[in-house]
Amino acid sequence: MKSRYRSVSVLIVLLTVLALTLTACGGGSTPESTQLSPTQESSAVLPAETSLPETATEQPAPTSEQPTVIPEGALRVAMQSLVQTDPALISSDTEVLVASHVYDYLVDVDPQNNIIPRLAEKWTISDDGLTYIFDLHTEVTFHDGSRLTAEDVVWTFNRLRDPSKDYPTKDLYSKIANIEATGDLQVTFTLTQTNPFFLYDLSDNHALILQADTSDPTQINGTGPFTVDSYSPEDRITLKANPNYFMEGQPRLANIEVIFFADDTAMVDALRGGQVDLAMRIPTPLYQSLQGEAGINPISIPTNAFDLVRLRTDREPGNDPRVIQAFKLATDRESAFQLVEQGLGAIGRDSPVGPLYTAYYSEDTPIPERDIEKAKQLLADAGYPNGLTIDLHTSDTGNRQDLAAVLKEQWAEAGINVNIVVEPESVYFGDNGWLEVDLGITNWGSRPYPQFYLDVMLVCSAVWNESRFCDAEFDEQARLAGTTLNEDERIQAYHEIQRILIERGPIIITSFWPLNTAIHDQFEGFTPKAFAGRTDLREIRLVK
Amino acid sequence: MTASPLFDTQEEQGLQSTVDRSSGRSKLIHSLYSRPTSAIGTSIFLIFLLLALLGPIIAPYAENQQIVSDARQPPSSEHVFGTDNLGRDVYSRVVLGARNILLLAGLGTLLAVLSGTVLGLVSGYRGGLLDEGLMRFFDGLLAIPALLFALLLLGILGPSSSSVLMVIVIVYTPIVARVVRSVVLSVKQRGYVEAARLQGERQSVILWREIFPSVLPVLAVESALRFSYAIFLVASLGFLGVSVQPPTPDWGLMVKESRNYVDQLPWTMFFPAAAIAILVVGVNLMADGIKRFLLAPD
Repeated sequence: MKSRYRSVSVLIVLLTVLALTLTACGGGSTPESTQLSPTQESSAVLPAETSLPETATEQPAPTSEQPTVIPEGALRVAMQSLVQTDPALISSDTEVLVASHVYDYLVDVDPQNNIIPRLAEKWTISDDGLTYIFDLHTEVTFHDGSRLTAEDVVWTFNRLRDPSKDYPTKDLYSKIANIEATGDLQVTFTLTQTNPFFLYDLSDNHALILQADTSDPTQINGTGPFTVDSYSPEDRITLKANPNYFMEGQPRLANIEVIFFADDTAMVDALRGGQVDLAMRIPTPLYQSLQGEAGINPISIPTNAFDLVRLRTDREPGNDPRVIQAFKLATDRESAFQLVEQGLGAIGRDSPVGPLYTAYYSEDTPIPERDIEKAKQLLADAGYPNGLTIDLHTSDTGNRQDLAAVLKEQWAEAGINVNIVVEPESVYFGDNGWLEVDLGITNWGSRPYPQFYLDVMLVCSAVWNESRFCDAEFDEQARLAGTTLNEDERIQAYHEIQRILIERGPIIITSFWPLNTAIHDQFEGFTPKAFAGRTDLREIRLVK
Repeated sequence: MTASPLFDTQEEQGLQSTVDRSSGRSKLIHSLYSRPTSAIGTSIFLIFLLLALLGPIIAPYAENQQIVSDARQPPSSEHVFGTDNLGRDVYSRVVLGARNILLLAGLGTLLAVLSGTVLGLVSGYRGGLLDEGLMRFFDGLLAIPALLFALLLLGILGPSSSSVLMVIVIVYTPIVARVVRSVVLSVKQRGYVEAARLQGERQSVILWREIFPSVLPVLAVESALRFSYAIFLVASLGFLGVSVQPPTPDWGLMVKESRNYVDQLPWTMFFPAAAIAILVVGVNLMADGIKRFLLAPD
């Protein structure tokens, strides 16, 4: 009898362990794997102080007088797997990270969001703001040994704006009238209208310079600090230092190994166990668990990335402005921010112009206080005296499920009954389903300047106008902000835009997420950028 | 047609079986509680059943009630299982989740047993092409691992409670049908079945009155086993995020949602995982007791 008891207790323990093991395994979603559809286009760094280039500015070349450094050490980076290697089509962080280390941009953006030279040594802008002349660095060679010339730059940008091709940059560069090689190492861009953010446009994720007449862009031949050493799909890609890189003293590392992980928990465990040295886009709870871990430096930075809660305005129930107001009044942004983001990042104000755009962000227009009774009344006035029931669609990545659960509870008080529909990210964005749903939560990545969001998401003709928002006053302010060279005028326009969105925009933004990263302490020189894939690994060095 | 002696015998048998049934039931309960293992199992099951029935009365908070100020609290007197990242009481969610899992697994098993029994009886008794065709089809279905098959079906049906119910029925019907059929094959050769057939009884009457009682013990054991598997299947599907949608307090889904918080808030994963494990173990032990009682040689 005793042995039977023992065997039963062993059975219970074994089954409990089995159940817990089951729960710890399994394919997982990857929180903040956000660079799908809406985040596919355009550049991506962080917008601290949007220092715009002044007209007729001449940028100096970077002084590179460091002693010759022999690259050493290998950095193992944990990221999601990679699909695209053609710079015109890359979108995920991994794809951008790899491409931006084997190719170079004409101009780049630093972690403080300033435009900095890369292949372009210096540039001048005409007084009317319509002509940009770039002088390229001398002595730049492609990995195959051929010299970089102005023709390569012209060919690359003409490819990216080719109206017959369906590249995501087609619209971004549609206001360029002409691109011309005005010298062996000089390129001139002429615009059809002024664009204060043109240099940021040129630093777009996709704007990596290829050799002219490249027939197969997947056969990587860039000018970048690294070359591809080996690539094993679904496993890893290994880069090795380019000995002929034109910037003195770069790169500092001999190798970068990007190891693919589909699961965030596994990624963080690998970091803990020493199988990888650097992990980025760590979900907040996992990031919190790394605090105080010996040998690991956790670094979290604010970004302008956010989850957009939007209601379609071209059909019921969102076509009634009172319903939009009811949704806004039923939302408690502070609670949502505390619960979902654990207080990391920044609280949202229903506008994509986040606090990181210090020059443009404004808190002049107050967010109306949460008012359940008023929300109920507005719903009743709009023809929903017994409340309304609606599906809330979102993807299974990031903290969006949590946000959906929080909003469901908050809105229920006002009689808005939500059925949460969680879909894999590929399904949510697949076949443009995210553009069709009535009520959805969409993740938007961080950008170096706010105009991007207005142009692709909120103006009437925007390609990804999820909410079908169409407001003449808003469109006029967005046009003004995106074209005026007068900084004061632009600031005023952005303030007006925020007011309009708070007052009547069919969108709710409760928070801006942080970017959580962690790196082993034997490496120095790591400065993450808000769009993780744009983080520059050239300056990272092994110190132990 | 005059009343035959056999008819009388059957009526007597019927009366006898009613008496047998009530005494059999108390015998079963006695048997289940005569051994510590099955007693523990049965008690566990009954406790969970009670939770499922009285959940809303027992649970101190609503399943999705978010208490912002209490978010991320470890177990305490106020929240005995702690709170999760959104300030929801884990104890209340576990208690209220019992109904969901028992209802889905229970109803799913019941439907699978019903359909499996009918198909198994008919297929085994009729034999021939119908039997051959049906069994080969079931062989094909059974060749696919249950979880994989369930994922495939949910991919087609879309995630919802009714889809999960349907999946349990489709996944477990072939198994039940095969078990029932195997009993039917041996029983249908027996003399009393032959006698009923020769007497011109209708097929449905033969199946129901002559064959089914012999199938019953095996079926009861199989049902209990299927039920425990169904609980695990529902929990697994919840964990994989393909069954019910958040914020339903589904135990599997709760485990999934707490994965990223396992370092920070381990209790949010421990309690629903433990509930799954304990319920599955309990039902298995109970099934073992039922099996011992019904299939014992005496």
